[in-house]
Amino acid sequence: MSSKRNVVSILALLVVAAVSTALAGDKNAPPTQKIPKGAKVFVAPIEGGYDTYLKDAIAKKKVPVEIVASHDQADYEITGTAESQKASTAKKVILGNWHSREEASITVSNIKSAEVVWAYSVHEEASTHGKKSSAEACAKHLKEAIENQ
Amino acid sequence: MYSGKLLMSLVLTTLSLCIAMYPPAARSATSRENNSNQSQNKEDQSQAADPGKPAPDDQTKVPVSNIKSAPTDEGQLATVNNAKIPSYAKVYVAPIPGGFENYIIAGLRNKKVPLTVVIDRTKADYEISGVSDSEKAGWAKMLFIGSQNSNEQASIKISNLKTGAVIFGYSVHKTNSARGKQSAGEACAKHIKQIVLE
Repeated sequence: MSSKRNVVSILALLVVAAVSTALAGDKNAPPTQKIPKGAKVFVAPIEGGYDTYLKDAIAKKKVPVEIVASHDQADYEITGTAESQKASTAKKVILGNWHSREEASITVSNIKSAEVVWAYSVHEEASTHGKKSSAEACAKHLKEAIENQ
Repeated sequence: MYSGKLLMSLVLTTLSLCIAMYPPAARSATSRENNSNQSQNKEDQSQAADPGKPAPDDQTKVPVSNIKSAPTDEGQLATVNNAKIPSYAKVYVAPIPGGFENYIIAGLRNKKVPLTVVIDRTKADYEISGVSDSEKAGWAKMLFIGSQNSNEQASIKISNLKTGAVIFGYSVHKTNSARGKQSAGEACAKHIKQIVLE
């Protein structure tokens, strides 16, 4: 009688294990990684020296991260691209607009896990302060992402 | 003897439960793969049986037989055998000239596409690659149309890194794109979302 109970309990455990494996096997878990406050972040060089604007904007907007100079010391890396187009003569004469057109997109990735944890793109058709404006937009939204998680 | 029969019956119950709990999407994906393999075999057999028939080369054969296009308001979407990507699959976005890969990643986040983007290709299950082109507004466009918006076009494809098969393709063309590359990147992300299983 006791051996029958043992067999039943072992098989019940096997059933539970098999069901949980079948449920978990084919579904990927959603990423749970967030950017913690005070995380060490390395800003990779971006064309046109945009990384410098980004570092200034992170400091100005008081984003709660620590910028490090070396990739080895960092937990997270900011990479991206930026494009700036000065107002052409036609834009100045025909549209009466002297402001530049700014486009930028950045991604924040965890260096250890290689996962992208945050990304943002900005487009300003007539940017009053050029690259500075778009970099500050990126920094503002990064701050919101860190503080609201 | 009695315990042996009990053991056998419980093992069979376990197996039937496993089969019942196996996700139907994965089952259908497997059956689709089998179907495509079967159709591929049939094509090969028919070619072998009919040597007089001209054999198309391998590069043109796959898109013609498998890719189904569906026009959208923004561009052309093409999926191969209605393939789907499992949610939170690891996706690597290959570098695209002009840094367009960053706009795609930002678009994926903005459109809340349930995928995990990784920066290491070896850790990924799928790869997004493509091309993009941007044309700024010229003086004539500003003078005659009064528009300073750019024209954007991009084309992406998603391939399964394990099998090497291209499972999805999408191209977008935006005349007078209000937000430039950002709009094109978000359009790509919106249509990628359609093939991700949620």
